[in-house]
Amino acid sequence: MRTKALLTGAAAALALGAAGAALAADMAGAIQARQAHYKEIGKASKGIYDELNKPTPQAAVIQGYAHQLDTLAPQIPSWFPVGSGPEAGVKTRAKAEIWSQPAAFKSAAEGLAAAAHHFDATAAGGDIGAIRAEYPTLTKACGTCHTQFRAKGG
Amino acid sequence: MLFAALWWTGETEQLDLHRDAGYVLLGLVIFRLIWGVVGGSTARFSNFLRGPREISTYVGDLIRRRTDRSVIGHNPLGGWSVAAMLALLAAELALGLFTVNVDGDQPGPLARFISFDQGRAVAQWHDWVFNGLLALIALHLAAIAFHAVIKRDNLVGPMLTGAKRHAGDAAPMSPAPLWRLAAAIVVSAAITLLIVRG
Repeated sequence: MRTKALLTGAAAALALGAAGAALAADMAGAIQARQAHYKEIGKASKGIYDELNKPTPQAAVIQGYAHQLDTLAPQIPSWFPVGSGPEAGVKTRAKAEIWSQPAAFKSAAEGLAAAAHHFDATAAGGDIGAIRAEYPTLTKACGTCHTQFRAKGG
Repeated sequence: MLFAALWWTGETEQLDLHRDAGYVLLGLVIFRLIWGVVGGSTARFSNFLRGPREISTYVGDLIRRRTDRSVIGHNPLGGWSVAAMLALLAAELALGLFTVNVDGDQPGPLARFISFDQGRAVAQWHDWVFNGLLALIALHLAAIAFHAVIKRDNLVGPMLTGAKRHAGDAAPMSPAPLWRLAAAIVVSAAITLLIVRG
């Protein structure tokens, strides 16, 4: 009887441990996917910057990146499942404030989505001058989150 | 000062300031490289980069506590310390030109020639080389402190003024004419502008 209880207990502990490990693996996966997404955003941002600094910037190139940003930006909140913060034990610059101040995070994310959408429309217009004028507004919207919700250091 | 400003603006990601300060330092380093060839006697690489024999003689004298205050300009060890710092500083600046920040919106002036991922790798190197620089600078300052305290030899005064009281028959520092200074400044500014504009 006692042996059976012990065995059950051990099995339960194992199952819990396995579930915990699976969750940790999920979170590591979520963080990796998030970082890959942000790299895509960084690439698009650099792509726009580089194109704008060419002697004759091509609107079509910028439009590609702008559309990509418009697609990715609204997804950002979904890249931050609960548990994928500093507590995940994986190297991440995501601060705990993302989850402790959900309203502020949401509004910052929505701000970026709106800015990206607006930039996409401006890019579609094809006027390089207008695109150039709006690019800082876009990167500023990125920065809103980074100053509040991203830890310092590379 | 500039070096501290670069550290601070880099650390706090004030990248527009960091970039401008970097350009100024780039101009200074290019000037120093030119000055190492055409400048005053003690500024020239040919004057302070000595071969292994002179270095070992100098180190031997140092260990045997034979005080020798007749060194004008960098001593045989200090010369290579300067060269190492200058080389690493030049490397750090070159890396900075290609660095891409994590958000991809404030890249260095030459980063458009490389990809985002390469630019991020360069940023990592930019970080490491900075730590190497700190180590070399600390070593150089420690040596200066050693000379000041143990050997009672003030090295900083002569560095600033170019004048040094010295015993022995060592030739005094002979300064370069002013027109060369002006020319070197103009040339280094021009090279800096060319690099920065890519």
